[in-house]
Amino acid sequence: MAITQRQQKTVEGVPAAACWNCKASVPGGAHFCGTCAKIQPVTPGADYFSFFELPRKLTIDPGMLEGKFHMLSWKLHPDNFVRATEFERNLSLQRSSELNDAFRTLREPVGRVEYLLDFLGVRKEGTTKQQAPPELLEEVFELNESLDELRDARASGGDIAALRTKLEAAQKHFQGLLAEVDADLAAIARDWDAVLDANAGDATRSALLAKMSDLLNRRAYIRNLVAGVNAEMAA
Amino acid sequence: MGRVVGIDLGTTFSLIAYTDAQTGEPKCIAGSNGSVQCPSIVSVDENGKILVGDAARARLTTNPDRTIYSVKRLMGRGVADVQDELKIFPFRIEPDGSNVIHVRLGEKTFTPPEISSFILRELKSWAEAHFGEPVDRAVITVPAYFNDAQRQATKDAGRLAGLEVLRLVNEPTAAALAYGLHKRKRGYVAVYDFGGGTFDISILKLISTSEGDIYQVLATNGDTHLGGDDLDNALMDLARKEIEKKFGVALDPQGEQVQTLRKALIQAKHELSSTDSATIKYSLGAKGTYDRIFTRAEFDALITPIVARTMAPVKLALADAKLAPKDIEEVVLVGGSTRIPLVRKTVADYFGRAPHTELDPDQVVALGAAVQADILESGVKTMLLLDVTPLSLGIETMGGVIAKIIPRNSTIPASAEELFTTGVDNQTAIDVHVLQGERELAKDCRSLARFQLKTPPGPAGLARIEVKFLIDANGILQVGAKDLRTQEQHVVEVQPSYGLGDADIEKMLEESIEFAEQDFADRQVIEARTEAESILVATEKALRDTGAAGIDADERTSIQKSAADLRAAIAGTDYKLMRTRIDELNAATNHLAETLMNGALQTAFEGKRLDDVGD
Repeated sequence: MAITQRQQKTVEGVPAAACWNCKASVPGGAHFCGTCAKIQPVTPGADYFSFFELPRKLTIDPGMLEGKFHMLSWKLHPDNFVRATEFERNLSLQRSSELNDAFRTLREPVGRVEYLLDFLGVRKEGTTKQQAPPELLEEVFELNESLDELRDARASGGDIAALRTKLEAAQKHFQGLLAEVDADLAAIARDWDAVLDANAGDATRSALLAKMSDLLNRRAYIRNLVAGVNAEMAA
Repeated sequence: MGRVVGIDLGTTFSLIAYTDAQTGEPKCIAGSNGSVQCPSIVSVDENGKILVGDAARARLTTNPDRTIYSVKRLMGRGVADVQDELKIFPFRIEPDGSNVIHVRLGEKTFTPPEISSFILRELKSWAEAHFGEPVDRAVITVPAYFNDAQRQATKDAGRLAGLEVLRLVNEPTAAALAYGLHKRKRGYVAVYDFGGGTFDISILKLISTSEGDIYQVLATNGDTHLGGDDLDNALMDLARKEIEKKFGVALDPQGEQVQTLRKALIQAKHELSSTDSATIKYSLGAKGTYDRIFTRAEFDALITPIVARTMAPVKLALADAKLAPKDIEEVVLVGGSTRIPLVRKTVADYFGRAPHTELDPDQVVALGAAVQADILESGVKTMLLLDVTPLSLGIETMGGVIAKIIPRNSTIPASAEELFTTGVDNQTAIDVHVLQGERELAKDCRSLARFQLKTPPGPAGLARIEVKFLIDANGILQVGAKDLRTQEQHVVEVQPSYGLGDADIEKMLEESIEFAEQDFADRQVIEARTEAESILVATEKALRDTGAAGIDADERTSIQKSAADLRAAIAGTDYKLMRTRIDELNAATNHLAETLMNGALQTAFEGKRLDDVGD
């Protein structure tokens, strides 16, 4: 899918607005007015990265992110606005939920990638095509067979020990594949950051984003497989 | 604006607390009998008057059909949900065809929020008596695992009691606040809250930042139908079976007799926390006496499966927090049931460390609520609570499958946006069904609410309505909708699946004002009587005093007549009349008082002790 016009080359792609209270100019995405310190509405179009004043890079130090999260929590939480007007209380509710949503998304490496792709219009969340990656087709087929055999053996009271051992091997194998995908994602995340630093062109970025999307599809598929096996083993 | 308080609205006991402005320490407020614990029991007397607490508890055995305990178990639930409860709890639910629970107490029926509001009113009166000022705002605690409907019901109860609910705080988090204030600890904390009716486990991270302390909940889990009540029921089950076997008597679970037995069993349960055996002697009248010794070992064996049930949520919460038991640095026990040695041992063994019990497990939640109330009221920003929503929020999609939009244990406030469109041509209403729970299918989750999005007719897929789901700081859902084509904000009327709509609440608020007036009148009567009695005693004493010899017979008669009139007044219930008679007696004894005073001064000058005279 082509990258849409929405992609911004800079972090501050959101225009400045007038403060609702004192009318001073407030930079796009700012939490508070620089002049009168009143909390500002959440700006449509502002992304989670800019919420934390971070560039759209995929490597984020977890300690640093958490520190920012705590600092912003102190400032934005509804506890601070109990005595304020209903309008401000509402703004606090909007902004603090945005903060929590942003932190929840950005703290996980996979979540970061998913969010980036979604924000750049490359991939709509939740629209994973649940198709087996071609090179895995045979293994998936075998796995499904084994799972069926196990279920049948359970139902008929047959010997499940050998089947379980076979499935345990499959479990390990797919967990290994999952770890590989995660490693690939981490590598591509680093590539992306390098590309941003080098201010590379659209074509390079598009290619990386497409690759990320494929990896996410693959990851989702394998993760479902692992979950399925785990569930059957635990039963 | 009146005072602010923190309230623990518990299944078995409720408490009210405030933060002392001087010391900054939270303190529980006692009722007129000196106890800080108000039994969560409500009874209606023969005149329709509402009794709460100790006064109601006595009536559990004398008037069980007009008395209710553990109403918290009914909050936020429909008639269909509680059918299992009815087998073991004597709830008299009126079968009126609706799903809203109406409990019969005597001649009237009440909804669970109304009954809870009576308890809140009682606590409110304790606080007002203590401060000598009105109390109109409160932080009320709820089990962390309470769902949206249960939270809304609690908020409704507060409103009906005349309290503005500043915040609903989760019980384990409140306990952590009180504990953190007490200990100033840092690190990972597990709060194991085993109360009368509910069980909660919360895993928190206590962090020190330059701004102050953050109490961040990482994960919470629990069972809203697991508590001390279940331990009592296990004992009750055993006792009833034995009684039937030995005496051929089948005790009716809804009757009076069984309440007396229950009381005795609870007493034994308490004793077994500190002794190795406890005895029950329960009279069956002519059939004999059920004389039974329970040993600690036997009790432990009986309750082991119930205590074991608490460990499943503990494991799930730790998994969600991505921690192992050994990572937890402090374990806090909350709730009366944690006094049981087996419970303490189970928790200590699991976490590999002795749990903390320095703070009274019965009071700690109320104290924490008072701390949060103070934070909100005073604006003192040295502590911040970051709590989570316990259940995933989802919407029902095609085929009855749930699409999760806000995952469980998300820090609140939390939000999600979903885009809706029409599925068929000329469709003008889009139905949205919101649910809470972890299962895959809508039928296995808890229905929270339904609403409809209106859109003008057009081809399928043309409509674009963005719905924003927001879980606020109380853990309660708010919904907003915007038509992306017109940029218009839609008003979304959310129909709660359980509990009361606004119209119901308004009606109840009107009725509750009656109760408020009744309460006010009652208090006036009590205060007038108290004052009258003390004046009568003082008057008699004064008349017997040697210094009163100088009073002539006419005056004496007049005083005695006023006293008699006052005695007649306090035998009734008209407080205005009592006040009038008090004033009259005061006027009648003015001269007597002066005479005694002069006599006292004279005696003082003559070297006699002043306290020989008068009071």
